[in-house]
Amino acid sequence: MPPQPKILLVDDEQAITANLSPFLERAGFAVAVAADGEQALRQTSAFEPDLIVLDVLMPRLDGRQVLRRLRGQDDWTPVILLTQVGESTERAMALEEGADDYLNKPFDPHELVARIRAVLRRARSGQPPLTSAPSLACGDLTLDRQARRAYVGAEELRLTPKAIALLEYMMTHPDELLTRDRLLDAVWGWDYPTGTRTVDTRIAELRRVLEDDPAQPRYIETVPGQGYRFVGRVEAAGRGETAP
Amino acid sequence: MRMRWRRWGFALIPAAAGLVVASLVTQVPTLTNPVIYVRVDVGTAAQITGLALSILAAIGLVLWEWPGRRCEHRLIRARARAAEERRRFLQRLDHELKNPLTAIRAGLANLANGSAPPAQQDALVSVEAQVVRLSQLTADLRKLAELETRSLERVPVDVAELLQEAVLLAQEQPQAEDRRLTLTLPQAPWPVPDVLGDWDLLFLATYNLLDNALKFTRPGDTVEVRAFEDGAFVAVEVADTGPGIPAEEVPRVWDELYRGQEARGVPGSGLGLALSRAIVERHGGRVTLRSRVGQGTVVALRLPVK
Repeated sequence: MPPQPKILLVDDEQAITANLSPFLERAGFAVAVAADGEQALRQTSAFEPDLIVLDVLMPRLDGRQVLRRLRGQDDWTPVILLTQVGESTERAMALEEGADDYLNKPFDPHELVARIRAVLRRARSGQPPLTSAPSLACGDLTLDRQARRAYVGAEELRLTPKAIALLEYMMTHPDELLTRDRLLDAVWGWDYPTGTRTVDTRIAELRRVLEDDPAQPRYIETVPGQGYRFVGRVEAAGRGETAP
Repeated sequence: MRMRWRRWGFALIPAAAGLVVASLVTQVPTLTNPVIYVRVDVGTAAQITGLALSILAAIGLVLWEWPGRRCEHRLIRARARAAEERRRFLQRLDHELKNPLTAIRAGLANLANGSAPPAQQDALVSVEAQVVRLSQLTADLRKLAELETRSLERVPVDVAELLQEAVLLAQEQPQAEDRRLTLTLPQAPWPVPDVLGDWDLLFLATYNLLDNALKFTRPGDTVEVRAFEDGAFVAVEVADTGPGIPAEEVPRVWDELYRGQEARGVPGSGLGLALSRAIVERHGGRVTLRSRVGQGTVVALRLPVK
């Protein structure tokens, strides 16, 4: 039996850690708890977690500062941020600062477990996550995340800003089932009855521009009745490695 | 009160100036007090008198309206401030609810994992459904507050196409089956022009109106969607032959979480219209609602043309 993955749960709200840690333990993780940012840093060295679930708003050292310090020390332990601020720019910032994923409070605890498993599967030990790479590549397709441009070979693709954001989220979460609700929450910042159609429209735009055949997808696969999955192999590309 | 004195001060300026000149020429010995003889014919005199009276009347009118206008500005500012405070309050409320809700959901998930007897399982399911509902509400409040500050995509939006999509989506609703839902788009002399904005948000704003119209009408009622060019604006109207909204409720239907008498039994968050208004106003547009009890309701969005 493989050893249980170790999770460090960091939140200053005792009611949350007290309820969430037994739930995570039952889901098959070994759990340690920290109540603030300083404790979190100490626990990271002592407990050596495989993944940190980190609340953002905390006294003394907040989640964002903890994340910055870890990454500054070249510590790439996967981190899932629990954001309080729903602002989509905030969330984008979280990813740029080196978080592997984020979840808005209040969340479904089962969703947290699913995210933890996905991030652990994706994590490449000791290496920066795809979410912190300035550029991403999948075969001919490259995405320059800073410039918000996508290329196939040397040719720039004409995509709307939303389609770029959607492509970015999918490429930073490859091989994961992404439900329409999750895409809406992550890319649009809201989920409404109109939402599923909105997602489908943008996916259709991406497929058209990428010339991706839904029947034989190179990039985006439809998971019937559930959502989509980015099936291409994604690699982090350096700043200079994108197309001109 | 201060305003009134100032107005009188302005009115007395010409008299005071005359008095100063008169006292100068009579009191200062070095100044002679020349006599001016004026000969005018009746026609010119009438013209000059008429002109002078008109100027006086015009000045009077300006002074009369001035304080009113200042009050209006103050009122607009006060309203903006109140709206801003309300948004901040919503944001704070949302933050305060998040942590307890997160803890409750985790606690419930723990209980559901255990081997509770069936009676308790039912209770757990119902409690969880309510907690999910509360979570959804906080998420909606957050989005509403976020709308004020989030960056908007500004691309040309084809209003006709957007309305066609919205009507198609509305037709999928079960209520659409027994209501007459129509869409009218002008073709002559030209189609409805594009507006500049965020397609997804504008879609949401118009769909909400359509959704409301379907929710609050009865089987057999008519729901008409139409769009037309109106000066520098594109107007989108959703009109229905439903039961209508009492006059005293009309000004409040756009408020967050407001639910009218009729709406009590209808599912919904009470945030749909508030969201639509916030979206339209972020696009530089306006929303209006007219209603007659027993006849129906028409909601209109006006969006600036690209």
